[in-house]
Amino acid sequence: MSAELATAAGHDASHVDHGDHGHLSAENNFLGLPNIKLAMWAFLGSECMFFGSLIGTYFFYHGKSLAGKLPTEVFSITITSISTFLLLMSSMTMALAVDATRLKRLSSARAYILATAALGATFVGFQVYEFSEFVHEGLTLSTSLFGSTFFVMTGFHGAHVTVGVIWLTMLSIMISNGKLNKERSPITVESAGLYWHFVDIVWIVIFTFVYLLEFIK
Amino acid sequence: MSYRLLTLSALRNRLARQPRGAQQPNLAQHPAGKAALSLLKVVASAGLPLLLLWLAGCSNEPAPRDTHSPVSDNGEISSFFYSLLLYLDAAILAIVVAVWAYALVKFKKQAGDDTLPEQSHGNMKLEVIWTAIPTLIVVAITVPMLVGVFQMSKRHDPNQPVVEVDVTGKQWWWEFDYKSGSAAGLHTANELHLPVGTAVTLHMTSADVIHAWWVPRLGGKRDANPGRTYPMSFTAKTPGIYDGQCAELCGSSHALMGTKLIVHPLAGELEVDYKGQKVKLETYETWVREQQAPAKPPVAELEKGLKLFKERTCPSCHLIQGLEGTDIAARSATSGPNLTHVGSRMGIAANTLLNNPENLAKWISKPSAVKPGSKMPDGLVTPEDAKAIAAFLSSLK
Amino acid sequence: MASVADFAQAQAPVYHQERPAKSGLVDWLTTVDHKKIGILYGSAGLFWLLIGGLEALLFRLQLAKPDQDLFIGTQYNGLVTMHATTMVFLAVMPMIAGFSNYFVPLMIGARDVAFPRLNAFSWYTFLFGSLVINASVVFAHFPAGGWTGYAPLSTRAYGNDGMDFWWAGLVLLAISSMVAGVNFVVTILNMRAPGMTLMRVPVLAWMMLVIQFLLAFSFPPVAVGLIFLAFDRTFGSVFYEAAMGGDPHLWQHLFWLFGHPEVYVLILPSMGIVSEVLPVFARRPLFGQHAVIFSGVFIGFVGFGVWGHHMFTAGMGPIADAVFAATTAVIAIPTGVKIFNWLGTLWGGKLTFPVPMLFAISFIPMFTIGGLSGVMHANAPLDLQQHDSYFVVAHFHYVLVGGALQGLFSGIYFYFPKMTGKMMSEGLGKAHFWLFLIGMNLTFWPMHDLGNRGMPRRIYTYPADAGWNFDNLLGTAGVFFMAAGTLLMVYNIFNSMKNGKDSGRDPWDANTLEWMTDSPPPAHNFDFTPVVFSERPLFDHKHSEDLAIPVPHEAEQIHMPSYSWKPLVVASGALLVIIGLLLFHVAPMLWLISVAGALTVVVGIYQWVTEPV
Ligand code: HEA
Ligand code: HEA
Ligand code: HEC
Ligand code: CUA
Ligand SMILES: [Cu+2]
Repeated sequence: MSAELATAAGHDASHVDHGDHGHLSAENNFLGLPNIKLAMWAFLGSECMFFGSLIGTYFFYHGKSLAGKLPTEVFSITITSISTFLLLMSSMTMALAVDATRLKRLSSARAYILATAALGATFVGFQVYEFSEFVHEGLTLSTSLFGSTFFVMTGFHGAHVTVGVIWLTMLSIMISNGKLNKERSPITVESAGLYWHFVDIVWIVIFTFVYLLEFIK
Repeated sequence: MSYRLLTLSALRNRLARQPRGAQQPNLAQHPAGKAALSLLKVVASAGLPLLLLWLAGCSNEPAPRDTHSPVSDNGEISSFFYSLLLYLDAAILAIVVAVWAYALVKFKKQAGDDTLPEQSHGNMKLEVIWTAIPTLIVVAITVPMLVGVFQMSKRHDPNQPVVEVDVTGKQWWWEFDYKSGSAAGLHTANELHLPVGTAVTLHMTSADVIHAWWVPRLGGKRDANPGRTYPMSFTAKTPGIYDGQCAELCGSSHALMGTKLIVHPLAGELEVDYKGQKVKLETYETWVREQQAPAKPPVAELEKGLKLFKERTCPSCHLIQGLEGTDIAARSATSGPNLTHVGSRMGIAANTLLNNPENLAKWISKPSAVKPGSKMPDGLVTPEDAKAIAAFLSSLK
Repeated sequence: MASVADFAQAQAPVYHQERPAKSGLVDWLTTVDHKKIGILYGSAGLFWLLIGGLEALLFRLQLAKPDQDLFIGTQYNGLVTMHATTMVFLAVMPMIAGFSNYFVPLMIGARDVAFPRLNAFSWYTFLFGSLVINASVVFAHFPAGGWTGYAPLSTRAYGNDGMDFWWAGLVLLAISSMVAGVNFVVTILNMRAPGMTLMRVPVLAWMMLVIQFLLAFSFPPVAVGLIFLAFDRTFGSVFYEAAMGGDPHLWQHLFWLFGHPEVYVLILPSMGIVSEVLPVFARRPLFGQHAVIFSGVFIGFVGFGVWGHHMFTAGMGPIADAVFAATTAVIAIPTGVKIFNWLGTLWGGKLTFPVPMLFAISFIPMFTIGGLSGVMHANAPLDLQQHDSYFVVAHFHYVLVGGALQGLFSGIYFYFPKMTGKMMSEGLGKAHFWLFLIGMNLTFWPMHDLGNRGMPRRIYTYPADAGWNFDNLLGTAGVFFMAAGTLLMVYNIFNSMKNGKDSGRDPWDANTLEWMTDSPPPAHNFDFTPVVFSERPLFDHKHSEDLAIPVPHEAEQIHMPSYSWKPLVVASGALLVIIGLLLFHVAPMLWLISVAGALTVVVGIYQWVTEPV
């Protein structure tokens, strides 16, 4: 009992947790995860259900379109492979950014963060191009079930990448103007990294199952 | 209360009844089903009075749509499970309430007693018991339930005589297209006529939103989904007239999307009781022949009605067989019921009004006053003209 | 023996904020204090409970007799839709949020939630969502597609302009709930006081933990369904259009994949409250605490695998029917474990019956009735008869009103003294209890009979000769009892805040941490660091052999987060985004509102993360 008391009494209750606010005890960190990371994991779990529902709907409706273009008629594997590659590369730069913050090299972290954001933005650019191509070829939101499910699913993925780009831009600004110091940068950047990798993985799933599989059979 | 008891005894009678013809006995008539029921009754005898006491508050009104006086094989299965679970639930509720009430009385704190009771934290043995017993109960009710699910979804043997009808829900009425046997090609509305003791398959679909066709005494409902067709197979066992209505929220007049099921005898005329009235039922084949005949040309004094009917664009939505300019093939989602023999129906506007000339006139002059949002437009005719049209339509027996 | 009064002797520490809070209205607008946010949620919930009840009262008047025309067609459907949407999302859920905000941090001995500003953001998105849904009646009509909003009835081809407000409001509520879910998962897992192992976390906090997972994981599917609906209504996509091959089952799957876990979101907190209240008034520990906790977790898990039981008549096919029916029946087992452990708690106790206890004990049989009729529905062949009949209405009101609402009432009477320092009137409370119990059974019991007699739900009128007259009359009569009881409670709350007797810290002789601190608690919750040695820390303090267990006091300053406008700013941005989308079909130019909203969100978040706390 006394040991328990000692840790409790000696504990610094005014300790400010990353993100928001202090709590009474650090011992109870679940699975050793600090607040912000635990929150990130819970959020990503929720996101899994979100994308699961979108992708599930795509397959629920797969092959049931009554009109309009088929996936194989509009998909361009070359273009999408390039953009997929860029997004994969962005995961690497993101990992490097996290590493740099661990080593407290903030300016190189900022460079990697900006690179990641730039790759992400390029990916979104490709997507805008792809969407407008499809529309030219006669596939819109209202053409068919394929149009509706495809645009909404990939559109929401694109929106997630866009959010990520804005997030990363914000982080680099915060590093520039000193709002993000060496103490807080590892966990802050790592959380952004978790999100980024997640969005990346979702794209791998979409690319594999929605694009590639279409051509395999 | 007397009514409820009656239902339960009706149920006993039904269980004792022999299976019909050469058909496989269904679960409700299986010895194991009966045995389970008797066992439960013994245990539930404590809880049942409690439930009945509750129900004593309820009225003695007649229940023309009683879900527990089924007239089909499907209805019997549903009803069997109702009794099974009613007794089971009564038994469980009786035990829970008995322990609860005893504890509340027995363990009330006595005035002035400030000591703490024994600080027990639980009992592993009890936990195991009250997890295991419900688990066994759940298994015991799930196994027959699975049998029931597959029994009810079983399709009919195609070698048997089968009546097949396409059922289309429309805002807010029902269209029936007969597909097989002598009735093939027949189109009617709202009142479904079937032969007794014959396998029936209804193919449910919808022209707009989701509806659900439900005649409680026949048995369970099925959704009518737009863009999907789903079959519902059963055999009606007792001739009679049974009320029903749409059970899935489908817009402003969902409450007024009624339907009737008329189960005809196979031979001879039969007098049945419908809500206290005696109604004669002809055979199914007779009904089919009558419906297939073209509309009778109106007698002279009703010709004005026919003329108005043609003038006022009614034929753009309604078919009258034998009347040119009306065509069943041109049906659309907004077109209305077949009126060839509208005079022979018991109700109009999907059973919302009794079928008589006054009600017909009322309906025709302002449908939205009868059914909010009705797809048949207002203001097609003046009340005067409506009377003439109504007189003509009434003659279309 | 020590008493809680001993803690009062301690010298209160000073707490410190980067920027001290403003006073008055501004304080309520900018607060990040979980207790104030809890009060906001709770008051909003109570307000909407009255509105939802009023809606029920109005449509019950229409149903009192056959062939009436007080509210017909879409008016009636609108009242029913809003009654259910209001009760589920705007009354019961915020009341739950109120309790979890106010009491979870206190129960686990924390200073606040993990992310206080995020918490304020959840509150504002909830508030805006509730206003958007109800704005429909000002700018259009009430949504009238049922609370289940089945497509294609909810699509634009079938009018129903109120449905625009419905999806827009629900999207905001979904965001609010998902964010709150994440926040509270972290709070409960990470912010526990020293010594509070997971198994020592109070059952109420445990149940809150379970529902936060349910919220975080079950809202996304319905959010996706709502997005499809919004796209169909606004941008011409064809998700629910049968003519294009769209399948009406899609919405139903997405909705019920949310909808079923949602009903456990509504009931588990009340089960938690009952699990807190029974031991206090039986004066012994909760029987089988671990079993009660694990059964709650189990219910949460299985709850994700049973949604198809709402679709037995939809035509999923016998295999799906069989699977969903079997998984559903399984839920009876863990629920039974809870019921039996509560009986075990009563058995051998020394029971007293103040108002919170009355509601808690009546929860047991009332919920059991509802649960047992649920087991009937789980039987697919039987459910073909009962589905969409009044039997279902009876089932879910016994679990929702007899269960969820009674549990929350118990919580209100139980925790009011902690929140205000005043006791509520026992006499008025008992009157409320009896009126409500009688009214509830008068209204909902005959609905079983109505279902048996073949009365479908959601019908605004019925013929006089169907045999449904008497039961319906009883049903309408009962509402007046429930309304009278509820109004008495509201009066009791306001009156007791002014005139109630002082309660002190621990009026009920309770067991858990929240009763160790002042009533109402100070901004920093505890003047000391509570240390926990069992699942009844306060009981230990009061009854331990060596008098009071020493409690370390805070010598230094306590850092508390400052007030912030940013949650309101960001939530307003989200509101603008939604309004722009909602209005897009009126005039496409209005999408600029969404752009303005998105910019507000981005700027707001930047300021949020860079402002000093
Ligand atoms: C608080 C909310 C709540 C809760 C807790 C429940 C609990 C349960 N519900 Fe209910 N339900 C709703 C709210 C809720 N429900 C709502 C709102 C709807 C309608 C939605 C709509 O259509 O608008 C609905 C509809 C609904 C349906 C669909 C009916 C239909 O539309 O056709 C079904 C079908 O299976 C069902 C089943 C169950 C079951 C098996 C439980 C179980 O969890 C119950 C378990 C409890 C017990 C069984 C009692 C205690 C146990 C014992 C004493 C142990 C011994 C018992 C046995 C061995 C049986 N519910
Ligand atoms: C938690 C959820 C919840 C709660 C608490 C309630 C509470 C009540 N519900 Fe409801 N109900 C639902 C959830 C809930 N309901 C759902 C999900 C549906 C399905 C909807 C659908 O089909 O889409 C439904 C449907 C439903 C129907 C079926 C309608 C139909 O199918 O046509 C009926 C019928 O009687 C009904 C009645 C009642 C009544 C009488 C109460 C009573 O308990 C209410 C008690 C009254 C009060 C608590 C407040 C009283 C106060 C006043 C009246 C005074 C107001 C004064 C001022 C504002 C100053 N409800
Ligand atoms: C735009 C289409 C339309 C036109 C034009 C129209 N109707 Fe109808 N009619 C309907 C629909 C749809 C119904 C079913 C309404 C319901 O029950 O909800 C209906 C129902 C009826 C019924 C009740 C049939 C039954 O079996 O219940 C009668 C009788 C009727 N119409 C007569 C007329 C007459 C007479 C006219 C011309 C004056 C007319 N209708 C013009 C669409 C139309
Ligand atoms: Cu058709 Cu309800
Ligand atoms: Cu459910």
